[in-house]
Amino acid sequence: MKIHYSSLPGAESTQILMPIVPIVLINGEYNTPVYALVDSGAVGGVISTVIADDLHINWKNIPPRMGFSVGGNFRFHSVKLEAEIFDHHFPLKINVVEGISAFKCIVGQKDLFQRAKVIFEAYKNQFELIFREYN
Amino acid sequence: MKFSKIDFVKLLKGYKTGWVGISSDHKKVVAWGKTLKQVREKSKKIEDRIYFFPSGESYSNFVG
Repeated sequence: MKIHYSSLPGAESTQILMPIVPIVLINGEYNTPVYALVDSGAVGGVISTVIADDLHINWKNIPPRMGFSVGGNFRFHSVKLEAEIFDHHFPLKINVVEGISAFKCIVGQKDLFQRAKVIFEAYKNQFELIFREYN
Repeated sequence: MKFSKIDFVKLLKGYKTGWVGISSDHKKVVAWGKTLKQVREKSKKIEDRIYFFPSGESYSNFVG
């Protein structure tokens, strides 16, 4: 599946083109359809506490761990969910991050990239997801 | 098969805060709320799958 980069609001009249994919996060009987940034630089996926609350994840009871990014340190709580992207279902271990800004859902190397071949063609403003076939 | 561009600039025009609910074809905003909880509540009766997205963010200086 080839996916055109999405345009996102930026400062003033500028617009930003980013690789975004619709994703349904599933926690048992609860599901939250959102949009995720496909980030090859992210080791693991993250969601905001707001999305975690919507999924009825009791993240405050999960012991926090410390992570770090280019912007500094953050607290996160690891959870196991299910995900659906373009009719492909897969288990998703993701981190609930406190105080996350801008993107509220990001998928990275340990999740989507394990399930699909991801080809970025930024010069064409598109990327491609080729999901692995399982017998 | 190519999945078309989702134009969040167009979709989020006029929504400076809160969260929006977006139709399953990703072409129109069908609900708005101050919080995700509120927009989910407002879109409860809509039978279509609704995708949720924050409407008050600026992405221009994001580094991931």
